[in-house]
Amino acid sequence: MTTLAVAWITPIAGAILGASILAPLIALWFLKLRRKRRVISSTLLWTRSLADLRANAPFQRIRFNWLLLLQILAVLAIALALAQPEAEGMGSAGGRHVLLIDRSASMGATEATDEQGVAFDKPTTRLQLAKDAAKERLRALLGGGWFSLNASDVMVVAFGTRAEIRAPFTDSIATLEAAIDGIEPTDESTRIDEAIELARAFTSNLDRDDARGERADANIESEALPTIELYSDGRITDLAKLALRPGERLVYHRVGVTEHNAAVTAISAERPPDAPDRIQVFASLANASLSPRSVTLQLAVDGAVRAVTPEPIEIAAATELDGAFVPGRAQVTFRPIEQPSNAAIEIAIVEDDGLRADDSATAVVAPAKRLSVLYVGGEGFIVRTLLEGLPIERFNSMDTASFDTAVATNALGAFDVIVLDGVTPKALVPGRYLVFGAPPPVEGLSAFGIHESLYPRFVREEHPIFRAASLDELFIGKATAIQADKSFQVLMEGPQGPLIVARERAEMQLVYIAFDPLDSNWPFQRSFVNFVANAIDYLGHAGDALAMRGVLPGEAVSMRLPAGSQEIVVFAPNGTETKVQADLEGNISWGPARVAGLHRVEFLAPKATARETRLFAVNITDAAESRIAPLPELALGNAQVQGISVASTRRGALWPWVLVAGLLIILLEWWYYQRQVRV
Amino acid sequence: MSSTKAPRKLDELLDSRLMSKLDAIDVVSRKIFSGKLQGERRSKRRGQSIEFADFRPYVHGDDLRFVDWNIYGRLDRLFLKMFLEEEDLSLIIALDTSASMRVGNPDAFEYSRKLAMALAYVGLVNQHRVSLVGFSGGRIERASNLRGRRKAAEVAHWLLDRAPEGGSAFEEAMRLVGTTRMGRGVMIALSDFLFPEGFEKGLSMVAGRGYDLFALQILAPQVVDPTREGGVAGDLLLVDSESAAEVEVTVTPELLRLYRERLDRLCGSLRHYCTRRDIVHMVVETSTPVETLMLEYLRKRGLLR
Repeated sequence: MTTLAVAWITPIAGAILGASILAPLIALWFLKLRRKRRVISSTLLWTRSLADLRANAPFQRIRFNWLLLLQILAVLAIALALAQPEAEGMGSAGGRHVLLIDRSASMGATEATDEQGVAFDKPTTRLQLAKDAAKERLRALLGGGWFSLNASDVMVVAFGTRAEIRAPFTDSIATLEAAIDGIEPTDESTRIDEAIELARAFTSNLDRDDARGERADANIESEALPTIELYSDGRITDLAKLALRPGERLVYHRVGVTEHNAAVTAISAERPPDAPDRIQVFASLANASLSPRSVTLQLAVDGAVRAVTPEPIEIAAATELDGAFVPGRAQVTFRPIEQPSNAAIEIAIVEDDGLRADDSATAVVAPAKRLSVLYVGGEGFIVRTLLEGLPIERFNSMDTASFDTAVATNALGAFDVIVLDGVTPKALVPGRYLVFGAPPPVEGLSAFGIHESLYPRFVREEHPIFRAASLDELFIGKATAIQADKSFQVLMEGPQGPLIVARERAEMQLVYIAFDPLDSNWPFQRSFVNFVANAIDYLGHAGDALAMRGVLPGEAVSMRLPAGSQEIVVFAPNGTETKVQADLEGNISWGPARVAGLHRVEFLAPKATARETRLFAVNITDAAESRIAPLPELALGNAQVQGISVASTRRGALWPWVLVAGLLIILLEWWYYQRQVRV
Repeated sequence: MSSTKAPRKLDELLDSRLMSKLDAIDVVSRKIFSGKLQGERRSKRRGQSIEFADFRPYVHGDDLRFVDWNIYGRLDRLFLKMFLEEEDLSLIIALDTSASMRVGNPDAFEYSRKLAMALAYVGLVNQHRVSLVGFSGGRIERASNLRGRRKAAEVAHWLLDRAPEGGSAFEEAMRLVGTTRMGRGVMIALSDFLFPEGFEKGLSMVAGRGYDLFALQILAPQVVDPTREGGVAGDLLLVDSESAAEVEVTVTPELLRLYRERLDRLCGSLRHYCTRRDIVHMVVETSTPVETLMLEYLRKRGLLR
């Protein structure tokens, strides 16, 4: 049940009026009426009728009178109206307020009714409801108050994965409303920490301006801490890490009621090694509602529907085990489809539900292509044997001297991936390298000794080369101690330094394993086979890596285009176009990606006559966003905050009704008085 | 209180013009009572008046003066002529002299005095035995057995000597009247009948004792309708003229409505009580001229003819 609380915009004005009129009014009723004495034959026929409408002598014991009651009620009603009550329960006006508006993916859920079941004129997104409620709140804080002595300053922050200040502290309604109207929906996940930090930082800055260095910090903190008003469905991933400071107040305006939602949480589209002209598509579905769902999936290739599941797919209901939410899951495998060329694969749930954005997922598959691999090795046989077993187009091997010669003559262009197994060539040419043991001669990477008896402490498991390659039982007897600069990404780290690093600079993609596999127990583990196969595949398709990997909403995108590319434009699914500039080597950065779906990068390559296109997919894979049932209360790190429905906060001002009631009481009092005095 | 000027002599109680008109009327009793003295009122009894009633055979001992000798001459038998006896009538006028009568304009007490004077005058000129009883505070004062026109001045003096004061104590007063042997006859009670203790017990003291009772309820116009000139309005402290009890009122339509309801209820219950006991009840507003009342209303109601 939603409780209706009342906020008072100008309570002091109401209290002053009430006190200044009520006391004299009651005092007047202590005055007694000096009645005219009249002798009559008998009082037998007269009843006591005390309607003291006038008073002209002190004093008497106060007696009940309907007029007195009506006058007190009228004064109280007018005083209450002057205090300008509003039904919302979000605290009084005045002071600083930070409106945090959640624009994450779950706020794109469509609502047909409010919490009381009243249907909207048309289905509305939660973000729109939040924006409307925030604007109502603005008017209450800044625009609605007569006699308001408390000026409010309001700041608007929109947040998803990242937070953005839409309007700094101001009391301009127009500025703030424009800022709120300008908030666009995103498909990002929800993180509030940055938004809170922004709000606090802004407040602290203002304090420093105001404080003139005279006030104590404690005073500054207690007086200046803003009221944080959060408009969200409460599905915030980092909520438990948030702790309110002493005196800080968080008001949670709960948005939305819908909880039914199924989502495509993962998509995988790969070419089977034995049939590279085909694409095998896997999808993972999740049901975030507490009742089972059956859905129909369709598979589209480059926008054309190629398959639809013949039978509805049953997804179990979500469950809560020991307080942990476990969504219902289902896995779907489509038959391999013939597609030798590159393709954008989209899996979509046909049925409508609360959140459409997570009902589809896209993957971009590179064209069918088999790799040519060059092995440059010494005495190691493990890697070589393993490579010979991989389904690759061409496998060559040579020794270090031959490799140096080939480098000198620039005769290595035919190989997609070069594997250096324990050798140190004199130089490397641009290309893609998988290096074991001895450090390669590249800038930014230096060896300074040997580490012994190591085990991995950190592994970037989400990297494609670690797919199905668990390193939990890896033990390394001896590894090269290396130092890598920022151009390298550390993929595995031991207690004393990096063990596997990767470099993805445009001219050279390189994965370096800083130990000889034979100095570890890795060759005896299945993960080693998977790792090598993943690494060859990853490096061999390095240019397509982004497309294959996909991007999460909120992430920035980096991509390598042919050096010298111009007129580069990124097209997002929501129709926005962004022009970007490439560096000298053809690298571009764009982002963060706001919405899910297939993004398109168009560019004009050097000496090309037609514009080329590259695709990359942005998919919502955050289960927290797919769980759209709004949270009734927020569990912060140090507090519980009960949510207030925006439907109730939008009921608006109560004071006109109170004022009307007061005027009606005055009319009633006048009528009663006239009835009394009319003879 | 009253603003009516109090009369000081007979002429002010009963002027000669009305007096001459009253000479022609008489008090009527619905009952025939036996009188004490020969009067001008026909009695059931055969007597010595000049009005012939019947014959009867002579018996021994009859007064020979009443033998009809003409019949004896024709029939040779003795018959005695019988004449209607003319007896006097006892007229008792009970006047409420409590303080509650000193109210209104015209004053209820002065009006009652004039009315009592007029009624007594009618009784006197018709040779009735007129008794006047004033009651207040449980006590009675009386002037009994007055007869003949010459007693009018005495009646007037008695009335002029009365002044309204104290409570009425109606029951006690009527008990005294009922037990005082003033002869049965017509009793006319002049009062406002606004008794805190009620009128029932007081009337019952005289109603069953053979009186032909008339209850004239004398009410000032301001009592009948408090909104009339000189009535009540505004915020008042009403003081009971008898008990000095005070009632704070603010005169409102609602209060007036309640007042009228109570007055109607009181008059209605008095009328009902009187009807059941063969008492004539009549509400008399003091704005009604005494002459009109005497010559028209009371004749219509059968008290006078």
